[in-house]
Amino acid sequence: MEQQNVLVIGAGVAGMEASLILAEAGLNVHLVEKESLIGGQTIKFEEVYPNMECATCMIAPQQQDVLQNDRINVSLLSKVQSVEGSAGNFKVQVKKKARYVSLINCIGCGACYEPCPVSLGNAFEERMSQKKAIAVACPGALPNAPAIDPEACLRLNGKKKDCSACQEACGFDAIDFSQKDETVELNVGAIIVATGFDQFDVSTLPQYGYGKHPNVYTAMEFERLYAQNGPTEGELTLRQDKPIKSVGIIHCVGRKQEGYCSGVCCMYSMKFAYFIKDKVPDADIHEFHTDLCIPGKSHQKFYNELKDKGVHFCRFEDIKVSGQNGNLQVRSTNSDGKEKSTDTDMVILSPALTPPPDAEILAKSLGIPQDSTGFFSTQNQKLNPIDSEKEGIYVIGCAEGPKDISESVSQAEAAAGRVLSFLQ
Amino acid sequence: MNKNIGVYVCECGPNIPERIDVDKVVQEMSSMDEVKTVKKFNLMCSNDGKKFLKEEIEKQKLSHVVVAACSPKDHEKTFMSVCQESGLNPYLFQLVNIREQCAWMIPDKEEATSKAVKYIRAGIHRVLYHNPLKKKEIEINTDVLVIGGGLSGIEAALSLAGPKRKVHIIEKTDSLGGMAADLSQVLPHQGSKMDLIKKKVEQLESSEFVNINTFSQVKEVRGFLGNFEAVINTHSGNGGVEEKEIKIGAVIVATGFNLFDLKKNPIYGYGEADNVLNATEFEDMINSEKILLKSGKKPKSVALVHCAGRKEQGYCSKVCCLYNLKFAHYLRDHHPDIEVKELVIDWCLPHKQDQSYFEEAKDKGVDFIRMDELLKTKSTGDQIQIEFKTNDKSHSVSVDMAVVAPAMVPSEDTTKLADILNIPLDKSGFFKELHEMLDPVSTPMEGIYLTGCALGPKNIHESLTQSHATSGKIFSTLVPGRKIEPEVKVSEIKEDLCTGCQTCLSVCFYGAITTDSFKGVSVVNEAICRGCGNCVGSCPSGAIRSKHFTYPQLYQEVLDALR
Repeated sequence: MEQQNVLVIGAGVAGMEASLILAEAGLNVHLVEKESLIGGQTIKFEEVYPNMECATCMIAPQQQDVLQNDRINVSLLSKVQSVEGSAGNFKVQVKKKARYVSLINCIGCGACYEPCPVSLGNAFEERMSQKKAIAVACPGALPNAPAIDPEACLRLNGKKKDCSACQEACGFDAIDFSQKDETVELNVGAIIVATGFDQFDVSTLPQYGYGKHPNVYTAMEFERLYAQNGPTEGELTLRQDKPIKSVGIIHCVGRKQEGYCSGVCCMYSMKFAYFIKDKVPDADIHEFHTDLCIPGKSHQKFYNELKDKGVHFCRFEDIKVSGQNGNLQVRSTNSDGKEKSTDTDMVILSPALTPPPDAEILAKSLGIPQDSTGFFSTQNQKLNPIDSEKEGIYVIGCAEGPKDISESVSQAEAAAGRVLSFLQ
Repeated sequence: MNKNIGVYVCECGPNIPERIDVDKVVQEMSSMDEVKTVKKFNLMCSNDGKKFLKEEIEKQKLSHVVVAACSPKDHEKTFMSVCQESGLNPYLFQLVNIREQCAWMIPDKEEATSKAVKYIRAGIHRVLYHNPLKKKEIEINTDVLVIGGGLSGIEAALSLAGPKRKVHIIEKTDSLGGMAADLSQVLPHQGSKMDLIKKKVEQLESSEFVNINTFSQVKEVRGFLGNFEAVINTHSGNGGVEEKEIKIGAVIVATGFNLFDLKKNPIYGYGEADNVLNATEFEDMINSEKILLKSGKKPKSVALVHCAGRKEQGYCSKVCCLYNLKFAHYLRDHHPDIEVKELVIDWCLPHKQDQSYFEEAKDKGVDFIRMDELLKTKSTGDQIQIEFKTNDKSHSVSVDMAVVAPAMVPSEDTTKLADILNIPLDKSGFFKELHEMLDPVSTPMEGIYLTGCALGPKNIHESLTQSHATSGKIFSTLVPGRKIEPEVKVSEIKEDLCTGCQTCLSVCFYGAITTDSFKGVSVVNEAICRGCGNCVGSCPSGAIRSKHFTYPQLYQEVLDALR
């Protein structure tokens, strides 16, 4: 490998871990992230199974280490555009969007949000709350500095060219409207793809009533609803401001359509039951599942614990959600064809994990194939589980397929091991 | 020592002065005897601020520095390195958090100011008791010991061995390859070519950087990251044992798994009824290409029974569903005249390509039967009757042969090895990782790593990945030519106060404390101690102190904060 530089695409839990190990070994890492913050999906979770640890507290030290490491060059709001060359000598073009906020000057005091005249739905919060055109995704985002959304900002979208409300409020000269999008060229010896996952669009399946009945939530919406730094500051309230007395959690949404089991939904669905029992101890909770896929060595214990707490587990072959006057009804059919109806205030849908929408574009740029599920394929047949079909390019975390944090971190460390073994 | 304390109050732009009267703070501090100078600065963490602090330390010949600013998470390191650059020991510094803990917390300016004054005063009185701590550098050995010659151990050894790193691999049996070498075929999307495993073994055997020890076991391991010594026992052919000692920098535990003993629970009928086989026995049948009953006849029907031992062990072993599907495929492909019934509790098929393998088996005519609970397996003349419960109703099937899939359990030497290595086990009896989510292949003993089924049930694919993960960890920690710097804020034991009760040994998570049996006192290994302070709190005679959290430091700090 001629270049002692490595490109890591995606600054989620896998990308960060791979970067930190490579940097510790003395390599220079270019960490490219499409969002304005690092941490990926994990930072959206209040707590993670099975030990119910606070995810933000767990990840924050790692995020700090990444941002403070001299050997890791983090490019935010950035995407890989093209890749040429081969293992040992890749030439990569990265398109970096302007943030319009100087990361050197900004101290993250937040004085600029209030005066901004534009409000829009916050995608980080599944649009359950509003944010300003200049904002951080959520309290505690790292780096602790906002970014300006150029499509929403009146000055940048041309609707009010002289607006400088944020600039006037900033005491640190951190707002910089002169920043431009730029293209950066990198030379790297190896590439680690850690682009994560998306979620199955539950609104495509009308039998679940999502979008029709306001109290049918997706798993990610519920994660944010429960989060202390989320739109309700962790308070569990329904969209119609009703207290929660009964909840139905439906597993395997989109499993049939996608053609695979995502491996993590059973556990996080049970985590939701744990959350709800914690806040509303007498809530009546039903877990509607097909196969319980709980393969970790401590996961079955988690399941047993929930059963002891009185959570109902109900296996279904077929399921349907209907509603009337704000009340929901879950009708499930078991393997004998017997139908059961359960009344609930809230339904949470646990959708399959899917490849991120731009996986196809990235696959083309990198020259690596996707498999039939749309995730990147690796050389499983040759017992090289994280090597892509192209030498020098490794695929880790959910970019390779659905998996949990632990497996993603193992793969990240493994990718670092592969690169360092190749270099020795 | 002459004490010249410099106190610097950062305004953090408008953040601090908006809620705290900085001038009043400066005035209050100036009246303290111990303080040589007090100044405010707009933004201490900026380049100008750091330059200002450096000049102050040099010009004023400061002996201690207190900066009142933000959270230590933000800038403690920043200011400690300024001290270092200015020739002042960085541990003679204290950061006081008046932003998050005062300015951003208290709306009332007067109250916030008075709290800030208390906190800074506490910081000043604390720093007076700070000691200049020195970083040490330790030479390292980069070689690695791999315990276990199965697929996980082989992969880790292959990844790590090179001109600058020798690998010793020890295997208790006569040959490398482990459990995987006995499988009829590896699972579909995990590679179907067994010669790949053989090739790996050959590659390892021919490597000049690998030292293979078969018939060998670890007797003793002592030391710490970069400097371990291991005693290896090798059984020679004539019953004798040869003992040798090796020096290594890291240890990888790849001791694999065992299978649940089906005889432990009569419901599986194993050992009782003829023609009830466990999964390995069926693998052997496939290898010999003869699927035959005890009578020598070919079975007309075979049942594949999932989840044996899951309830008893308290976990799902993850791989059994898939290898049962492998058996089903094999039977339908090679013996289409045999009827296959698969008795399943939950399908655990979490890999993206598992589901299609299941669908294919369904298309080949495998009869999948859902059971909630297995009740009994018994012999009824020539046949085996399996009774089970589904949706609260009892059912049964009769077949000629039953193959039962046992859970994966810890290998038999696990407890003994955990003791030798001083690393913990989890509730299921496997080795316990340092952090289940974020540090899945490390142990509390720095330099000792885990891979494969030694950690818990997993497939070949995941085991190989973990082996590369251990190598990634070792490559980045033990870099040839580099030295390691252990933690400086460690515990120390006053021998004259120590009664040798060994309470500290039981609370030390990292195995850093041992007993000096001659003196009858506890001893801290500073290279292993990470400064968590557990031992300090637990010591009934007050013999242990933490070097940067001494009683006088904490007492003075708390006294002022509460005053």
